[in-house]
Amino acid sequence: MAATLCRILLPKQGWLPFTQCVRHGSKSVTRHKRPLHFLKQKLMSVTRYIPPPRPAPPGAYPRQTIRDQEDDPFTILVKKNLKNVFQESKMIAVVQNSGSTADEMMLLKYKLHKHGITVKFFPNQVVRSFLKDSTYSNMAPLFIGHTVLFISKEPKVKEMLSSLRTSRHMLLLGACIDNTLLSAQGVVSYSKLPSVAVVQGELVSGLTLLTSQTAAMLQRHPAQLSALLQQHVKQQSSEGAPKAQEAT
Amino acid sequence: MATSSKVTVVLKAVKNITAQFCPFESNVGSTRMFLSVMSSHKVRATNLNCEVISTVKHDRSEPVVEITYLDGDKLMLKGAKLNCSEMLSAFQSMCSAKELQAKLAAAKK
Repeated sequence: MAATLCRILLPKQGWLPFTQCVRHGSKSVTRHKRPLHFLKQKLMSVTRYIPPPRPAPPGAYPRQTIRDQEDDPFTILVKKNLKNVFQESKMIAVVQNSGSTADEMMLLKYKLHKHGITVKFFPNQVVRSFLKDSTYSNMAPLFIGHTVLFISKEPKVKEMLSSLRTSRHMLLLGACIDNTLLSAQGVVSYSKLPSVAVVQGELVSGLTLLTSQTAAMLQRHPAQLSALLQQHVKQQSSEGAPKAQEAT
Repeated sequence: MATSSKVTVVLKAVKNITAQFCPFESNVGSTRMFLSVMSSHKVRATNLNCEVISTVKHDRSEPVVEITYLDGDKLMLKGAKLNCSEMLSAFQSMCSAKELQAKLAAAKK
């Protein structure tokens, strides 16, 4: 419906018209999107509203940095327990348990209890975090998978090794005996060591060997002693002469 | 850390499994997991004649699992750079191949 130039006939003289349609042929309100004038299109695209990026809701993603979280009370209790264990016991052996049954475990516990060795289980994560802060940090890589701790106040290695040999599933990984970290072979060689008294006796005898020999020699008959000394002087002079000949 | 044991491992064609590792190294986790899976009850019950022998060493050597089959073949899994699930899948594919061979041989007879 093309509207022509419409002029409202003035009802009275001297009145300005209310409406003056100057343009015709195109409507402003259409059912389809009217194509914008190019300049207007450019302006609209330049001045388009870009909203600021909204952050993700608080619980959407996990935290990227693992902050030092406070331990829960159970962990604190277990760590206290572990601290006591490390302080009181001289021998702490780490054993990997690969599929032993409950009755096998019971028998093993019974055998070890007779020698004063207790079998303890601790969660690996707690143990690792405890060891990280303490002086036993080199034991941390042992605690992977299903591990059992054999703890005793006296280092009874032979009995422990004999009971482990009979059980098929327990595998000795390492031990901390007298604040020294030992591997499995170290533990075996430790078990073969003689007792402290024997070793001390050997050391003392080795040190006093020469002095005891001289003391025994001096206590002999003086004729024998003088003969020995003369022989010694002859040997010294004979050794000195060939050396002088070699030098020249 | 535990692998899902929904896929059962069958040891019918295996003669024995030997493993050696050094527990103080950091690349031993997958080998130990593999060993624990192999030594579990379900898996051992599939073949009671199969032995799982593990040696603990301290010489910075790489962790190695050697699987000997009944027909003499050996599968060596070097666990230093492998994942536990990768080792399991390799082992299972070999086992299934062996079973197929055995079935074919039985069918021929």
